[in-house]
Amino acid sequence: MSNGGDQITLVVDGVEVQASAGEMLVDAAKQGDVEIPVFCYEPKLGEPVGACRMCLVEIEGIPKLQTACSTPVRDGMVVYTQTDRVKEAQNSVVEFLLVNHPLDCPVCDKGGECPLQDISMGWGRGKSRVIDAKRHFQKPIPLSPLIKIDRERCILCYRCVRFSQEVAEDEQLQLLERGSSSFVGTFDDRPYIAPFHGNIIELCPVGALTSDAYRFRARPWDIEDAGTVCTLCPSQCNIKLTVRDEKIQRVLARDNFEVDDGWLCDKGRFGYQAIESDERITEPMVRRGGNLEPVGWTEALEAAAEGLRQAGERAAAIVGGSSSNEEGYLTQRIMRRALGSPHVTSSLTEETDRALHVELSRPERGASVSDLDSAESILVLGTDPLHSMPIVDLRIRKVVRRNGTRLAIATDRPTALDGGAEETARYVPGSFAAFTAALAGEAGADGYERAPGDTGADAERVAGVLRPGSTIIVWAGEPNGSLVDLARALKAKTLEVPSGANTRGLREIGCVPTAGPGFSETAEGLSAADTCNALTEGGLDAAFLVNADPVRDAPDGPAWTEALTKADFVLAISMFEDASTKHADVVFPAESYAEKEGTVTHPDGRLQRVRPGVPNPGRARPTWEVLVELSALLGEETGIDSVKEALEAVASEVPFYGGITEEEIGGLGVRWQDRDAAGAFPGEASREFAGGGSPASPAPANGGLRIGAYRDLWAAEVTDRSPALRFLAPKQTIELAPHDAERLGIGGGDEVDVRSNGTSVRARVVIRERVRPGSGFLIEGLGDLAGTLVGEDVEVSPAGDDE
Amino acid sequence: MSDGWVPEIRPTDDMSAEERQRLVSSMRPEDAEPVPELHEVEVPDELKERIEAAMAKYPEVRSASLPALWAVQRHYGWCTPDGIRQAAAVMGVTPGYLESVATFYDLFRTGPVGRHHVLVCHNLACWLRGSEDVLDAFCEAAGVNADEVDHIGASSEDGEVYLKAFECLGACDIAPMASIDERYYGPLTPDDARTVIDQLRAGADPIPDKALFGRETAGGPEPEPDPRVKKGETNPVGPGREAEEATGG
Amino acid sequence: MASQTRMLFRHIDEPGLASIETYRSLGGYRALERALNDIEPDELLTTLEDSGLRGRGGAGFSMGKKASFLPRGEMEKFLCCNADESEPGAFKDRELMSKNPHQLIEGIIIAAAAAGAGWAFIFIRGEYAQTADVLERAVEEAYRAGYIGENILDSGRRVELVVHRGAGAYICGEETALLDALEGKRGNPRLKPPFPAIQGLYGGPTLINNVETLSNVPHIVKNGADWFKSFGTEQSPGTKVVSVSGRVQRPGNYEVELGMPSRELIFGLAGGPFEGHEVKAWFPGGSSAPVLTAKELDLPYSFEAMAEAGSMLGSGSIIVADDTVSIPHLALRTARFYHHESCGKCTPCREGTNWTVKMLERVISGEATPMDLDVISSVQDNIIGHCLCVLGDSMAMPVGSMVAKFRDEFEAAIEAGRDAAPRPLDESPTDVKPVPLEAVR
Ligand SMILES: Cc1cc2nc3c(=O)[nH]c(=O)nc-3n(C[C@H](O)[C@H](O)[C@H](O)COP(=O)(O)O)c2cc1C
Ligand code: SF4
Ligand code: FES
Repeated sequence: MSNGGDQITLVVDGVEVQASAGEMLVDAAKQGDVEIPVFCYEPKLGEPVGACRMCLVEIEGIPKLQTACSTPVRDGMVVYTQTDRVKEAQNSVVEFLLVNHPLDCPVCDKGGECPLQDISMGWGRGKSRVIDAKRHFQKPIPLSPLIKIDRERCILCYRCVRFSQEVAEDEQLQLLERGSSSFVGTFDDRPYIAPFHGNIIELCPVGALTSDAYRFRARPWDIEDAGTVCTLCPSQCNIKLTVRDEKIQRVLARDNFEVDDGWLCDKGRFGYQAIESDERITEPMVRRGGNLEPVGWTEALEAAAEGLRQAGERAAAIVGGSSSNEEGYLTQRIMRRALGSPHVTSSLTEETDRALHVELSRPERGASVSDLDSAESILVLGTDPLHSMPIVDLRIRKVVRRNGTRLAIATDRPTALDGGAEETARYVPGSFAAFTAALAGEAGADGYERAPGDTGADAERVAGVLRPGSTIIVWAGEPNGSLVDLARALKAKTLEVPSGANTRGLREIGCVPTAGPGFSETAEGLSAADTCNALTEGGLDAAFLVNADPVRDAPDGPAWTEALTKADFVLAISMFEDASTKHADVVFPAESYAEKEGTVTHPDGRLQRVRPGVPNPGRARPTWEVLVELSALLGEETGIDSVKEALEAVASEVPFYGGITEEEIGGLGVRWQDRDAAGAFPGEASREFAGGGSPASPAPANGGLRIGAYRDLWAAEVTDRSPALRFLAPKQTIELAPHDAERLGIGGGDEVDVRSNGTSVRARVVIRERVRPGSGFLIEGLGDLAGTLVGEDVEVSPAGDDE
Repeated sequence: MSDGWVPEIRPTDDMSAEERQRLVSSMRPEDAEPVPELHEVEVPDELKERIEAAMAKYPEVRSASLPALWAVQRHYGWCTPDGIRQAAAVMGVTPGYLESVATFYDLFRTGPVGRHHVLVCHNLACWLRGSEDVLDAFCEAAGVNADEVDHIGASSEDGEVYLKAFECLGACDIAPMASIDERYYGPLTPDDARTVIDQLRAGADPIPDKALFGRETAGGPEPEPDPRVKKGETNPVGPGREAEEATGG
Repeated sequence: MASQTRMLFRHIDEPGLASIETYRSLGGYRALERALNDIEPDELLTTLEDSGLRGRGGAGFSMGKKASFLPRGEMEKFLCCNADESEPGAFKDRELMSKNPHQLIEGIIIAAAAAGAGWAFIFIRGEYAQTADVLERAVEEAYRAGYIGENILDSGRRVELVVHRGAGAYICGEETALLDALEGKRGNPRLKPPFPAIQGLYGGPTLINNVETLSNVPHIVKNGADWFKSFGTEQSPGTKVVSVSGRVQRPGNYEVELGMPSRELIFGLAGGPFEGHEVKAWFPGGSSAPVLTAKELDLPYSFEAMAEAGSMLGSGSIIVADDTVSIPHLALRTARFYHHESCGKCTPCREGTNWTVKMLERVISGEATPMDLDVISSVQDNIIGHCLCVLGDSMAMPVGSMVAKFRDEFEAAIEAGRDAAPRPLDESPTDVKPVPLEAVR
C-alpha cells in the first residue's frame, strides 16, 4: 500500500517508471512491467525482512546489490535487474535454496502453483551443482489437524512464522534451532491450533504447508476459480473457491483490502466442507405422517402457499443472517404485501425502534473497515471480535502493532484483544447499556452524571484513551441512546458487529418489524421473542424460517421448540435438517454462499456480490426464484425474473441504495455511503437521546455469580457439518475468575452444574485471570439452556449424577 | 547440529495410517499452547522471583527472556518444558516463544544433561594447539560418544558430566582450553582431561592450577611505561588547568 | 625490540584493580566527573570525533562520528556495549573486562552522556560467566558510588546500566542481532537501514560500541584528542590490544601502537612459531579476515595496511598457522564455525556455509575432484555481498583466500585420495607442549 507519497520517476532497466515515493522497488518495478522475484516479501505481513535475498538488484551509486523488497524508491533512481551481476546473484540464490530442497515436485501438492518452481524456472541456473546429501526430516507430519508440514521442502522464508508472530499474534508457530538446522515448529510439538492458522497454507511459497483436506485433490490445471463472499459471519471476507468437477476443493482468500486485508479465518477456509456435505437438503419436502418426504417443487410450493395463506396476517417470518438482500427483500414483501403481516425480523434478540436504527445507520456516522487503519484510537465495546467478526480482530491487532493506535476495551467478558489494549474495563454481565451511559458521561455527553463506584472509575480510564474526533467504536449489543450520545460526544465513528453475516443488509431492505425497506415507516410487527410467545400462545399461526434456526440460535432456544411445535404451519428454507426443520411442515433446500447469486451488505455498508461457483445440489433451486413463485402463488406478482431484477427492486425501494447494479458492485463491492444516493438516507433531524441511560445492574450480592454468555467462534452449524472442523466444536464451559473458583472450591476442568430457578446447565470449569470476579460465562448456540441463564444470578456446584 | 541429525519431532513417518489418524484425531484445541495463566502452572517461588526481578530491570518485559531461561536452566538443570511453561506464564508470553529463543542459543539445553557442564573448545586456536587429543581424552574418560559430543553434546552414564565440543570460548591465550561449570581452564593436556573427569566425579574442584582467573597478562608488566602514557597519568584530571591544556582547550 | 604501549592495560595486573577503590586511587572516574560537570555533550562528541578513535569491534568506524548520528532531542536513547566477543581468536575484551571493569563502565557512562542515552547495556557473551560476575559487582559498586543511576554526580543526568548475558551465539556480536537478543528474541540480524543510530533498541536511537572502543573513552576525555592522536598512525590513532594465538610461543593480549610491524607483534611479543617451524598463514583480524602469508609479515599492523593487503584488522586478533598445519583442514574448521553460527535468516549464508562445509569435507576425505574447488570458490563469491549481514562473508572471505592462496594444497589433498588424506596437523600437536603457565605470564 503506498502511503500516497509524491509521484516520482525512476528508471528500471532503461524504462522510465512512475511511482509514489516511499513505495518499495519491487512494487514500483511492476509498473514498468519488470518482475523482480521474491520469496519472503509479503506486504501483508508488515515491514519487509529482506531474508531470502531473491530480489537483489543493482542500483546506480550503491556498490552492493540491494534487496528490491526493502528499498524505497527515490526520484531519479536508476535500477538494473537484468545485468550479469544481478543474474548471477539470482541464480545463486535459487541454487542455494535448492541445496536442501528435495525437488520432489511430482509428488508435491504445490506443483503447478509453486513460486519456488516458477522462480527456479525463470531465474535459476537450470542445472544443479549440488551433489551433497540434503537434510532430512520426518515428513509429512501433522502440524495441526488441518495442516501437514513437510520440513524438507521448507525454504525458511519465515512467512508462516511471521504470520503467527505479527499478524495473528498467537505466537504458537515458531522457528526452532538455528542456521541450516532451523525448522518451523511449535512448543513441545503441540498442535498449532489457532483461529487463523489456515492462512499459512496460502502464505507458504513452497509445498511445506499443505491443507490436509486438499492434499492430492487436484492439480492447478484441473481446477477453476470462482470468486464469492463468505457469509458465515459478518466479516464477509472475499473468497475464491477452487472448483474441480463441480465440487469445492478449497477456499482461498481473494484479497480485498477494504474488507479482509487478504486473510481468512479457519471457519471460512475449511467450512466449505459443510457445503459439500452429504447431509445437505437437496430437494423440497413436505411432512406426511410425521415424516418429511421429498416431493416435486410444484407440490411443495403449493403446500407452502396454502399453509401461509391460511395464516395470513397471523404469520411471522424470521430471516437468518446468511440470507442475501434479495432473499430478505422478497421475504418481507411476501409477508407485508401478500400476507399483510408486519411480523418480519432478522434479529433473534430484541427489537430497536425505527428512530434508533436510523440514527445508528447514518452514513456520516459509519466507519469503514479500512477507517480503522487511520483512527488514532479504537474502543471495543461489548464484543470480542475474535468470536463475532474475526477479521476485525486481525485488523485491530494490525493497527495497534504497526500504527500504534490506542486501544481501549470495555466488555463483560475478557477478549482476545486485551493484550494490546491500553485500558480494559470489565462490567457486570447485562450492564452494557449502563456502562455505555457511564462512558458517554466520561466523554462529556450532556445530561449524564458520573456513574457511581467502580463503574465511573472504569469508564474514566477507558474514555481517557479515546481521542475525540479520531475514534472508532467497534460495538455489539442492544442498541441504545447512550451509544449515540457517546459517539456524538467523541465525534466518533461506529462499526457495529451484528449477529448475522448480512444483518445490516437485511435491516436496510426491511427485515425489521419496526421499519420497511430503506427504514420507511410501516405498521409495527412483533420482535422475535414476542413472535415466539405468540406462536406458543396462539396469537400467531405460522412461522416462515428463511435460513434461520431459532431453536439453536435464539437465546431462548427451548422456547422456540415449543413455539414451532404449537404453530399450525412452519415453512423452512434450510441447508440442513436442523433443530428447527424438525418442526417444519414444508422444507425447501437452501443455497449456500457458494451457490447463490445476490448481494449482501457488509456491516460497514459495503454492498458485495455473492456469486455461484458450484451448481445447486440435487433439485435445489435458487431461493430468490422460489420466493418469487411463492409470492405469485400468494397473489403478489413481483414481475421479477432474475436476480438482477430483484436487485433493481431492492434499489428502487431502498432510496440510499438507489440505482445500484451488479456491475457497479463488481468484484470488490461498493459502500453505499460513498455513493450519491446516500443523500437519500432518511433525512429526519437527529433525535436527542441524552438522559443518562439505564442504571448499572448491581453486582450479584452475597457471593452469587452473574452469568454472561458469548457466541463462541466455533459454536456454529458449520463446525458440526465440516469434518475438518468438527474437533473444534465447543462443549459447554463456564469461565470463572480464579478467586471465585477458589471460593467455590472448584478447579479448572471440573464438571459443574450451573443452576438458577430450576434451570440447570452442565459445564466444564475454565479458570481465567481476566474474568471479573462475580461473573461467569457460558457459551451460546450449543442448543442447551445456557442462553436462558444470561443475566441471572446462579449457583455453581459440582456436577450431580442425576442430571 | 549439522548433517544427519534429525530433530526429535512427532514420529509420524513410522506410523501406520491408523495410528496417524489416531494421533491427528487426538489433537484437541486444549493441546495448543497459548500463553499459560499463572494458576495453570506451579512456579517455584524462587524461580518466579528471579524472573520478575529480571522483568523489572528492563524497559520492556520481553528483554527478560534470556535471564528467564537462564533462571529456568539454573533451577532445573536444563530448560525443561515445564520450566519453560512456568517462565512463559510469569512473563505472559507463549511457551513456544521461549522455546524458539532457547533453541537458538548454544548454552541453553532443551534436553536433560549431566550435572557438570564441560565445554571443550575445538575452534581454530585450540585446534591448532591440540584440542582434538584433549577432546578425545575427555570423551574416553567420561565414556561418551565423540560424535554426539561434536553435535549436541553427550552426558556420562552416571549423570555427572555433560560434555560438548564448543566453538571459540574467547580464551585462545590458554589454548587448548575448556569451560568447566562456567569457569575457564587451560592450557589442557589429555592428562588434565582425565583428571578433570575424575575430580568432577569425586565432587572436587577441578585442576585449580589451570584456572584462568587471576592469571597475569601475557608479557608481564611493562618494564618502562611509555612517557606519553605516563604524561596522561601524571597530569591527572579534574578541574585542573593542565587537564584543560591536555584536552586542547 | 618490540615493546607494548599500555594505555588500556596500564596497571592491568595491579591487585584489586577491579574494585572501585583501587580504580579510583589510580585516577579512575575523574574523566567522568569532568565529562559530566565541565563539558557539554556536543563538546564531548567533538572531542571523541577529533580523536579519530576507530571502533575496535571489527568495522573500524569512527566512534565519535557514529555517536553524532544519533538524533538530538528529547527521546529515550540507548547505548549498547558489545561484549559478545565471539570471533575466533579474539579474547581482548575478556581481559579488559575481567581485570579493569570500571574503565569500561566509566567509558560507557561518558559515551552515554555524550549521546544523550538514558539506558546503557553491556551485552556480554554467556560463556564469560566469571567476567559477567566481575562486571555485575563493579556495576553495583558504581551505582552505590553514584556514578550510575539517577542524577549522576549531581549533574542531573540519569543513566541506567544493565549487564545482559547472552547465551551462546556468535551472531549476537553483529550489532543488530545484538539488539534483537537484548529485546529477548532470537539473535537475528535486522535489515539495515534503518541503522541502529536512528532506530535501534526498542525502536529508539542506539549507539553500539565495542568494549575496547569504550574503554578508550575515559583516556581521551582525560587527555584530549591531540594527546590520543600522538599514538598510532594518522588513520589508526591510539593503541590496540591485539590477541595473538595459534602456533606461537607466547600467545596472549598485547597492547601496541597501531602501525607496529606485524612481524614484531608475532615474533617479538608473541615469540613467533616454535623452534624449527615457520609461519605459513595468519589471520590478521580474527577468523573472518582473509589469511595472509609469510610474505606479508612485514606489513604495518593498522586498519589501512591490512585493508590494502586485501584483508582486515577486524577486532585485532592474530591467529598463526605454521608449517605443520594442513590448510584444507584449516579451511574446514573455519567453515564449520560459520556454518554452526549462521543464524539461518538469509539464504546465501545459511545454505552457502552449509554447502561449503559439505564440499570441504569431501575434499578432505578425498571424495572431491579439482572441479569442486572451482565450485567452492564460486560459492564463496556468491555469498560475498549477497547476505543480510556479513557473517556469510566472514566465512567466504577466509575460505576463498585459502583456496586462492593455497590451491596446490587443496589439489594435493584431492589427489592423495581417501587413503592418504593429510593429517590435520603434520606434527602431532602433543609433541609441541602446550605453553607452560610461566610462558603465558
Ligand atoms: C558476525 C559478526 C560478529 C560480530 N561480533 C562482534 C563482537 O563479538 N564484538 C564486537 O564488538 N563487535 C562485533 N561485530 C561488529 C559489530 O557489528 C559492530 O560493528 C561493533 O560492535 C561496533 O562497535 P565499534 O564501532 O566500537 O567497533 C560483529 C559483526 C559481525 C558481522
Ligand atoms: S514452512 Fe513455508 S512459509 Fe514457513 S518458512 Fe518454510 S517455506 Fe516459508
Ligand atoms: S523478497 Fe527481498 S529479500 Fe526476500
